[in-house]
Amino acid sequence: MLRTASLVSLALTLIMIAGCAEPPTQEIQEAEKALKDAQESGAATYSAEEYAKLEGTLTTLRKEVTDQDGKFSLFRDYGKAQQLSASAKADSERIKTAATLKKEEAKAAALQAQQVAEEAVKATQDLVAKAPVGKDRAAVEAIRNDVDGLKSLLKQVQVSIDKEDYPAAQTQAKAIHDMSQGVSTEIQNALAKVGKGRPARKR
Amino acid sequence: MALDQTHTTLAVILCVLCLAGCVQAVPPDLLVALEAIDQDLIALRAPEAAPEEYRQFVRQWVALKARVQLDDDLIRWPWEASDLENELRRLYITSERTVSQLHERQASQHRTAQATVARLEEQLHAITSRVEAIDGRILLGERVVQTDLLVKQARSFFEQKDFQRAMHAAEKADHALKAQTALLSQELGRYADENRIAYWQTMARQTIEWSRIHQSTAIVVSKADRELILYKSGRRVLSYPVRLGFNGMLEKQVQGDGATPEGRYRVTDKRGQGQTQFYRALALDYPNAEDRRRFNYAKKSGRISPAKGIGGQIEIHGADNELLARTLGCIMLDNPNMAMLFEGVSVGTPVTIVGALTRENAVALALSELAQRRNQI
Repeated sequence: MLRTASLVSLALTLIMIAGCAEPPTQEIQEAEKALKDAQESGAATYSAEEYAKLEGTLTTLRKEVTDQDGKFSLFRDYGKAQQLSASAKADSERIKTAATLKKEEAKAAALQAQQVAEEAVKATQDLVAKAPVGKDRAAVEAIRNDVDGLKSLLKQVQVSIDKEDYPAAQTQAKAIHDMSQGVSTEIQNALAKVGKGRPARKR
Repeated sequence: MALDQTHTTLAVILCVLCLAGCVQAVPPDLLVALEAIDQDLIALRAPEAAPEEYRQFVRQWVALKARVQLDDDLIRWPWEASDLENELRRLYITSERTVSQLHERQASQHRTAQATVARLEEQLHAITSRVEAIDGRILLGERVVQTDLLVKQARSFFEQKDFQRAMHAAEKADHALKAQTALLSQELGRYADENRIAYWQTMARQTIEWSRIHQSTAIVVSKADRELILYKSGRRVLSYPVRLGFNGMLEKQVQGDGATPEGRYRVTDKRGQGQTQFYRALALDYPNAEDRRRFNYAKKSGRISPAKGIGGQIEIHGADNELLARTLGCIMLDNPNMAMLFEGVSVGTPVTIVGALTRENAVALALSELAQRRNQI
């Protein structure tokens, strides 16, 4: 009789131990890290909606773990938490890749716009260099001022690129390009008016 | 046997009824509607434009979707209440409201940004033309292109429907425009300064008086109104429009600054055909003793670099090229006017160059208009 009772209690203990589920700590940590990685890849900017969903999944995961932790040990079930962390990890990889790609695309577009703007400013500078140096330089003096301004604006594009603010860099570069072309036209008109330059005189 | 058959039939009917009476935990069309709400929010750029609202929606939507997936195989009786369905319905109602609010907000942002950018462009255009009119472009230096860049950026972001950035760029452009007009007021404020104008009026009056007393010719030039007036025996006989240095409205400080000097001068030489490249020229005695004293004082006090020279060869001359709008600091007349002036003037004729002769001079009026515009920005 005593032997039977001991066997039953042993069996119950084993069942209880087996029944006490543990939270998937490692998977959760991996999911949290995946979220951080996605954020660092620029997902919050370049894949904003997907990143928000990933954050939502992590919030659900944390809540699920807290809910299960609050239950009596025999009734805990971390299956859903495991599912969520696996899904978060998989999503994070996909979002990270997409964000990196979009960021690279934005960077490439900004760099290309920067190059086009630099070339336009250079062409404008070359035109200014051809401008008269004599008394006729008065015609292009104000324009020269603008070209100096355009040169310093190019630095702002670089600052935006360094800050990884590619949309701002792109709009700046495009505006500089447009302005540079406007200034070039102005110089050409001025040069057409004054013709060849003459030696400078004191004023 | 017959009874058994009846029981079996009844049992089958009951089972069929039971199965028919059971419904899915969540109606699929509700999930489809919420997916559509999510798409609407994305189309409205909610993740970027209203991140907090979108985050809230997504947090709930993801959590409920996870529950839906977990409860996918559950069925319930039609009369049984479903918490999950109720929560989904609540989310649907809330987020539908969010979509509508975002719609309104975006439409309002669109209107505001459109009006702001258009107003800014109009302001920039008006200010630029006023600045050109008073030769202030060089004075403003790189600020002109910097402001232009900001206005163009605002337009660019607006066209990309990035209203927040458009407004941000517009705000910076606003500040830049204000700074421009403030700088112009500071640098050219003397044209609106009553004491200064009174001083210039006195200088001009003394020159006219000299002409009257000596029954001789004298010239007065008003830079603000770009006008040269010829006096004979104290009487105004002719006036001509003139063009000035590329930085003509400023007081001449150093060689190459493009400013036209102010002060009392005399014609030191008459250069006829073949003696000047500018049709005809009247050389002035710039720099005179007063100019030198001012220049040396400015140099001593560090306002002028020691390497800079005072300049010279300031003339009243004709136009080598009729299309040339500005000079390096001289006073330029159209050739027919120059011919007449040249005939009426001799060496020693006093030439008084002043900023302005009246309070309502062109620069003062332009500054006043700019100040009004600055207040409108």
